[in-house]
Amino acid sequence: MSNESNFAPKKTGAKSFHRKDLILAIILVAFGAFVYSEANKFPPAPLVLGDTINADVFPKILVVILIFLTAIIPFEFKITPEKVAKIDKERDDKTIPITWITIVMLLTIVSLANFLGAVLTMFVTCLIFPLVWGEKNYIAVAIYAILFPGFVYLLFNQLLGLYFEPGLMEIFKK
Amino acid sequence: MEDVIRGFGLILEFKNILLIFGGVLVGVLVGALPGLSSPMAIALLMPFTISLDPVASISMMAALYCAGTFGGSITAILINAPGAPPAVATALDGYQMAKKGEPGRALGLAAIASVLGGIFAIFIFLLATPLLAEIALKFGPVEYFGLTLFALSMLAAMSGKSSIRNLIAGVMGVLVSTIGVHLATGVERFDFGVDELTEGIKFVPVLIGLFAMSELLNQSKTLNDAVERMSAKALKLPTLAELKKLKGTILRSSGLGTFIGILPAEGSTVAAMMGYNEAKRWSKEPEKFGTGSPEGIVGPEAANNAAAGGAMVPTLALGIPGSGTTALILAALVMHGFRPGPYLITETPHLVYAIFGAMLFANFGFLGIGLVGAKFFSYVTFVPKRFLWPSVFIFSLIGSYAYSSAIFDVWVMLLSGIIGYFALRNGFSPAPFVMGLILGKMVEETFTQSMVIYENNFLNFFDSGVFIFFFILTFVSLSTPFWGKIRKKFSSAK
Repeated sequence: MSNESNFAPKKTGAKSFHRKDLILAIILVAFGAFVYSEANKFPPAPLVLGDTINADVFPKILVVILIFLTAIIPFEFKITPEKVAKIDKERDDKTIPITWITIVMLLTIVSLANFLGAVLTMFVTCLIFPLVWGEKNYIAVAIYAILFPGFVYLLFNQLLGLYFEPGLMEIFKK
Repeated sequence: MEDVIRGFGLILEFKNILLIFGGVLVGVLVGALPGLSSPMAIALLMPFTISLDPVASISMMAALYCAGTFGGSITAILINAPGAPPAVATALDGYQMAKKGEPGRALGLAAIASVLGGIFAIFIFLLATPLLAEIALKFGPVEYFGLTLFALSMLAAMSGKSSIRNLIAGVMGVLVSTIGVHLATGVERFDFGVDELTEGIKFVPVLIGLFAMSELLNQSKTLNDAVERMSAKALKLPTLAELKKLKGTILRSSGLGTFIGILPAEGSTVAAMMGYNEAKRWSKEPEKFGTGSPEGIVGPEAANNAAAGGAMVPTLALGIPGSGTTALILAALVMHGFRPGPYLITETPHLVYAIFGAMLFANFGFLGIGLVGAKFFSYVTFVPKRFLWPSVFIFSLIGSYAYSSAIFDVWVMLLSGIIGYFALRNGFSPAPFVMGLILGKMVEETFTQSMVIYENNFLNFFDSGVFIFFFILTFVSLSTPFWGKIRKKFSSAK
C-alpha cells in the first residue's frame, strides 16, 4: 500500500441515513412515545355517555401518524435530495452567538416583566436590544427608549384602555 | 341582495372605512418590510381587535391581507428583496425593469395587475362562496371529516421545504389542539396540572410567537445586511394600449391564481410562481423574461393577489383555510364567536359581504396608496433592524398579554417563537402547524361524531360517496409530491 493512499479521503459507500435527521427523528419519536404514554393514563369515558370515543383515541392515532411520518425523515434525502440539501444548508449555518444572546435576553425580559411592569419592561427592551445588537448611535437609542414606550403607553393604555401592570412603577406612584 | 346591501352598508360606516384604510396602510407597510409579513401583522393585531365590532375587525384583517400581498412587490421591485414570499417571482423581472431606469413603470404594472387580479378573485369569491356553502350544508360529520382530512393532506403540497415535514408540522398542530378538556367525555388531557392548560392552548399567543418571535430570532443574524435601493419618484400606471397587450396574461394569471387560492392549503407564493411560469409559457417573447419583461411582472402579480381572494372562498364557505394568512382570519372569526363554514353564510351573510366589500375597497386603497406613497414605502426599508425588531417584540408582548391578561400567554408566545425558530431551521414551516392547530378541533369533533354514527367502525365511513371522493383526493394529494420523483426514476431506468 502506498503512502498516498493512506492520506487520500476514504471512499465510503452511499449513506444509508441522514445523521442530523436521524437525531431529529429520535427526538420526535421520543416525544410521540411520551404523548402516547400520557394518553394511556386518560380515564375511559363514563358508561352513561354510551358509545362515545375515549379521550385517548384521537391523540394516539395522531402519535401513530407522527411516528410513521417521522420514520421517513432520516431517509428523506434519498427521496428529495435537493430539498434536504437546502435544509442542510440552513442547518450548517450555525446559530450565531447574537441569536443565543437574543434568546437569553427575551427570556430574561419576560421573566422580569411582572416585576418591572409594562412601561419599564418596554423601556428596558428599547434600551437593551439596540445596544446589545451593536447600535452605536446612543442618542438615537435614548430617544427611541423614551419615545417608543411612551407612544405605546398612550396608544394602548390611554386611548384603547388596555390595563398595564404597574410593577415597579407602583413604588413611584406611592 | 338585501344582505349584500347590508354588508356594504356596514363597510361604508366612517369608523369602518377608517379601520379598513388602516388595514391597507399597515398591510402595504408590513408587506414592504422584508421580514415582516401579513400573517405576522394579523397575529399581532388580533388581540387588540377583541373589543372592536366583529365586522370592522375581520374586514380590517381582510384588507390587510390583500394589501400585504401588494406591499411585498414594492421592495421586490426597488431593492430586489421581496417583502413577502409571494413577491419573489415579481422580483425576477420587476427589479430588472427598475435597474433599466423604469422603477415607476414596474411598480405601476405590479399595482394594476394586483388590483385586476384581486377584483377578479373577489367576484369569483362572491359567486362561489354561497354555492360552495350550499353544497357543504348537505355535509354530515363524516363528509366534513373527509374534507378536513383532505385539507390537512394538502399540507404536503404546501409551499415549504419538505412535504413530509409540512405534514409532521400539521400533525403536531392537531396534537397541540388536543390539549385541554375533551369535549365528548370531559377528560382533561395533557394539562400536567397546569390550570391555564385545561382550557387548551390559546392560538393567538402561539401565532404571535411562531410568526413574529421566530422571525425576530432569524433577523438577529442579519443585523448588518445592507440593501441597494432604486429611487422611484412615483408609480407610473400603464397606458391603455399596454394594458390591452397584457390583458391575456392578466386574465390567465387571475384565473389560475383564484383556482390555486381556492385549493385548501395552497397559497399566494405557489400562485405567483405558477403565474410567472404560465406567463412565460404563453409569451411571444419568452426570451425577454428575466430582463425586465412587463409580462413577467403582471403574471405573478395578478396571480398572487387573485390567490389571496380565492383563499377566502374555502375559509368562509367551508371553514377550511386556503392559506396561512386565511388560517389566521379563520382564527379571528372563531375568536369573535362566529362559526366559520356554511352556517356563516346562512346565519350571518352580511358579514361575508362586508368582507367582500372590504377586500374590494382594499384593492382600490392600495392602488391609491401606491400612486402617492410608493416613494415613502421604499424608504421604510431604511428603518434599522436594531430599532424595528425590538418594537415588534413589544407589540408581541402586549398582544399576547392583552388576549387574556395572563403572563402565562406571554410565555406561550415566547416558547412558541423559540421552538418555531429551531423548527424552521430544520425545515418545519409555521403555516402547516397553524393550519393543524386551527383545524384540529374540527377534525377531532367530526371524527368522534362519525365514529359514533358509524358504530365505531372506520370502514363504515366508506358508505358515504362524498367521503370516498375526499379520501381519493387525500390519497392523490399525499402522493403528488412523490409522483415526479418516481416518474424520473422510471425514465432514468429506461
